[in-house]
Amino acid sequence: MKGWHGKLLRVDLSAGTCNVEALNEEWAEKFLGGRGLGTKYFVEEVDPGVDPLSAENKLIMAAGPLTGTYGAANGRYMVITKSPLSGTMACSNSGGEFPSQLRYAGYDMIIFEGKSEHPVYLQIHNDQVQLVGAMHLWGKTSRETEAAIKAEFHGDAKVACIAPGGESQVLFANIINEEHRAAGRSGVGAVMGSKNLKAVAVRGTGSVKVADAKAFRDAAMGAYGLLKQNPVTSQGLPALGTPVLVNVMNQFGALPTNNFKQSTFDGAEAISGETLASTYLRRNKGCLGCAIGCGRVTSLKGSRFDGVGEGPEYETLWSLGATCGVDDLAAVTKANYICNEYGLDTITMGGTIACAMELAEKGLVTEEEIGMPLSFGDADALVKLTELTGKGEGFGKKLALGSYRLAESYGAPELSMSVKKLEFPAYDPRGVQGMALEYATSNRGACHVRGYLISPEILGLPEKTNPQETEGKATWLKIFQDFTAVVDSSGTCLFTTFALGVPEFAAFCSAATGLGYSDEVLLELGDRIYNLERVFNLKAGVDPAQDTLPKRLLEEGIPDGPLKGEVARLDEMLPAYYQERGWSAGGVPTDEKLQALGLA
Amino acid sequence: MVQIQFYSLLRLLLKQEKLELPAVENETVGQLLDRAQQSIDTPFLDKMLDCDGQLHAGTIILINRYNIRHLDMLDSKVSDGDVVAFFPPGAGG
Repeated sequence: MKGWHGKLLRVDLSAGTCNVEALNEEWAEKFLGGRGLGTKYFVEEVDPGVDPLSAENKLIMAAGPLTGTYGAANGRYMVITKSPLSGTMACSNSGGEFPSQLRYAGYDMIIFEGKSEHPVYLQIHNDQVQLVGAMHLWGKTSRETEAAIKAEFHGDAKVACIAPGGESQVLFANIINEEHRAAGRSGVGAVMGSKNLKAVAVRGTGSVKVADAKAFRDAAMGAYGLLKQNPVTSQGLPALGTPVLVNVMNQFGALPTNNFKQSTFDGAEAISGETLASTYLRRNKGCLGCAIGCGRVTSLKGSRFDGVGEGPEYETLWSLGATCGVDDLAAVTKANYICNEYGLDTITMGGTIACAMELAEKGLVTEEEIGMPLSFGDADALVKLTELTGKGEGFGKKLALGSYRLAESYGAPELSMSVKKLEFPAYDPRGVQGMALEYATSNRGACHVRGYLISPEILGLPEKTNPQETEGKATWLKIFQDFTAVVDSSGTCLFTTFALGVPEFAAFCSAATGLGYSDEVLLELGDRIYNLERVFNLKAGVDPAQDTLPKRLLEEGIPDGPLKGEVARLDEMLPAYYQERGWSAGGVPTDEKLQALGLA
Repeated sequence: MVQIQFYSLLRLLLKQEKLELPAVENETVGQLLDRAQQSIDTPFLDKMLDCDGQLHAGTIILINRYNIRHLDMLDSKVSDGDVVAFFPPGAGG
């Protein structure tokens, strides 16, 4: 095989064994790698009804055939498992250098199964692979863990680990690599914690071989030119990073505020990318081989907090900022640092605190139970509650369940702003109808990066659509969801798609693997992956009735701003979406559809 | 008066958040953009427009928070008291 190494590592944590297996070539061709191939292995090996935190669940770390190449921002991997938060397929993406190191060590994928009796971590140094004890690492933060492993294993190792949040199985715990990069959503870190797997440390000194070196070089040169010509990838993202969107979305009137009670935030300027750039931003930073460099290295020196780290990104500025009503940039950044140290998804952390703030506002949870006064805008409480959640102390134990279970426990599940128990990211679907459809149909719940229709609806890329219209959004969304599945499976950063399209990915995948992927074949591959995930969710009991949004977003009009009165008009789009996908009117993939995709 | 707000890369480049210009009857936002450039030494039009004078893909201009791409593009009219926001191409996720 070319592109792929053709090898996966199977780690049986119950038995303490590590074995190399040949990669299934037929599956690799049909599911590519990363999200697609990892999901294929997962659904073949795991019962959909599995308890996500049991030994029977598996956790797969999967790179793509482009991961570790010099193509275009090819430093990504995916973590695939069943989510303890949503009960859906979970697949979370991260970049940095860890994914490429895994490939340089000679592996396309790691499958973890079973459960270790005691905390362990996995050391990989090319073909030397072993599980070693991690009792001395248990309880350490992500930063402490990485430092300790580098000191005892290899100074150049790249480390992906859980922190105390994952150890105590916070339902939205993430997996952190290189201290600041996160496979963030869906609670993949809790699954790792349930297996007593503290970390994976990898040192690889090999390389990735492609099938047609000249064609790959041509594809890379073409892509580099497009990335450098495009003002988003060459100027906007490097200069401001993702935080530029705070003011954009607030101006549009679609920046959810105070747990989606409003959609314009008076404090937006104070937590904006422009303000971050003039205060705590020190420099930008890219993942290995990235020509964009959107990462933010920040320092809180000079503020009332301390710390140095990366972020906050746009989603975090919103989740720990606007939706909690907090306009204190230092506090938001500090809470972001705590999430990274303790291994917590910043989006769900903020969404859950915002939910708690509304529960407190309505008198459904008392100050005594929380342990402090709590109201929208309380920056000190934001930082304290984030810390309590990471440490598993006090009211943090309840926040560790996520917003849905928290609100449900107080008899008010409607106050959880989530779909399939996964909290929303930072775009009010009432103001962006295409995102209403995306949130409702994403295979992991309220996710923005399965079909990022903000790109055409707000940013006008690749062309402008009207965010208040519903017609045609089903067609747009299917294309975006299928293409995103391809990008996630290739090992490439989604941000390249602001400049690169399907033809560029077809050129890369063909040159790397020698398999001659056409545009049509790639999009069908994406469709296949999307349906594979959907079928797993249905078998897991996540029925199509959950393809919906919270009542607030369907019935309560936006109270302020230019989109005043707008609601999410999901009923105008969902039937068309099911039809576009070739599913039944009830949202179930038909036998004909599955046969056409080779899934039946 | 018309208030122009600079965001994103423009704010870093121009080192100013706002510019106020007297309103001109029947002026389009394209003409306002030219007038803003004439009153500022640092060149910035290339951040918003391509070499044909059309909006870059991804450039956002809002008049009173309404996107000119859903009005009359650069021919959209600007009136006394309007707030016009300029965003050069940017993105997130």
